[in-house]
Amino acid sequence: MVWFKEKRYLIAVAALMVGFLFIMLLKAHGLAGNPSAQEGTLPSLIQTEQENQQLAADNDKLRQELDKYAQGESASALAKQQLRDAEMDAGLVAVHGPGVRITLDDAKARGTQSSPENYVIHEAYIRMLVNILWNGGAEAIAVNGQRIMSTTEVFCSGAYIQIGGTRQVPPYVIEAIGDAHNLQSVLQFAYTWDRLGDFQQQYGITRKIEAVKDLHLPAGSLTEFRYTVPVKEGS
Amino acid sequence: MKRWKRRLALPVSLVAIALGFLISLAMQTQKNVSAAEEINARRMAAAHAVLSNVQSQNAQLKKTNKELTAQLDQDRRLGGTDPKVLAQLAQVEIQAGTSKVQGPGVQIFIDDRKQDHKLTLPLSPDNLLEIINTLKFAGAEAISVNGQRIVDSTAIVYSGSSTILVNQVPITRLEGIPYEIDAIGNQNTLVDFFTNLEGSMLKANGITFSVMRKTVEVPAYKGAWTFHYAQPD
Repeated sequence: MVWFKEKRYLIAVAALMVGFLFIMLLKAHGLAGNPSAQEGTLPSLIQTEQENQQLAADNDKLRQELDKYAQGESASALAKQQLRDAEMDAGLVAVHGPGVRITLDDAKARGTQSSPENYVIHEAYIRMLVNILWNGGAEAIAVNGQRIMSTTEVFCSGAYIQIGGTRQVPPYVIEAIGDAHNLQSVLQFAYTWDRLGDFQQQYGITRKIEAVKDLHLPAGSLTEFRYTVPVKEGS
Repeated sequence: MKRWKRRLALPVSLVAIALGFLISLAMQTQKNVSAAEEINARRMAAAHAVLSNVQSQNAQLKKTNKELTAQLDQDRRLGGTDPKVLAQLAQVEIQAGTSKVQGPGVQIFIDDRKQDHKLTLPLSPDNLLEIINTLKFAGAEAISVNGQRIVDSTAIVYSGSSTILVNQVPITRLEGIPYEIDAIGNQNTLVDFFTNLEGSMLKANGITFSVMRKTVEVPAYKGAWTFHYAQPD
């Protein structure tokens, strides 16, 4: 006991050293585990670069058009051409071309078992498949004869699915114009497509895809815009 | 005095050795850390240089874009284009999503960052698709997600495990609330449908959100359509 009183300072020194070491290690660990500051730069870099590409493409388009004016082409003919192009972009023109046709249908048997929801086609499947098809390079899509436009909803209203303001019941036919091979392979990698295949085997729903040489998709109709007005960029 | 000294000699020297070892280890680590810090700083500087370069390019492109659009507008007016055609064109461009628009609507902020002591599921592309679909169902006339206009061919997918692409562009936000959705339409319907149909899904995932009625601007779609396969009838 006497020793303790005499050499207390030794313990103090040891404690100080241990504390010092501890803090140093903590600091080192903190630095090593904090690279987030740099991580953030990358996405914003990609984002800005993508935007630059889009802007450059847009500028080229504008220049081409200005050139046409400069060459003295009729302004009204140009405006009409532009209107036709815009209508094509918006999905307001009936189109035809090669692509794929997907057919989805509820199972014949209704599930009395534990999972009745697996026997029917849900609107989310249609939405996800349409999303995948756009991602795979589809140029135009219609579901049950309703052209998919920027304002088209695919919404579940209980007994039926509402698509573009119309009531649709199964079977649901998704028609997409584009490279049939690409569209088929992009589906092979999609989880939703895979799961529908499982449901087909287990519960008897229909999931069918076929390549079609010449699909005919109807035109969508222009939304009556009541709230939206264009903002003049130039002013 | 001698009795305890002998008894403690061994443990004390062991402790001393251990301490010495630790000190040298810590010094070594410190050296590595300073080196790593330096490399990190250099890398950051390089990345920032590239970024600021790209950003100045971006500003330049935007300026050119504005000038060209103004020029084109003027040419059209001087060219004596039928105002009916131009009015029709303006409507079709809203439908396509190729013009910047504004109007009454809602601004929705969605925060899926981890909250304290709460289990949070990050917002997925499927969640975003569902929210956008609900807004369309509520009659939204124009929608954007983090500045990307929703058009007919908009795809929302993961790139890797967490970055979400909209119109092939990553929408990751570095700071602030991760998601901002702007929609133009009937404010009451938009607020009502979003809160009732999507609110519970978000809450169940531990995600917080806010909906504000205000006049919003929705930017133009910057991409382009190419039609190799689809031909007009």
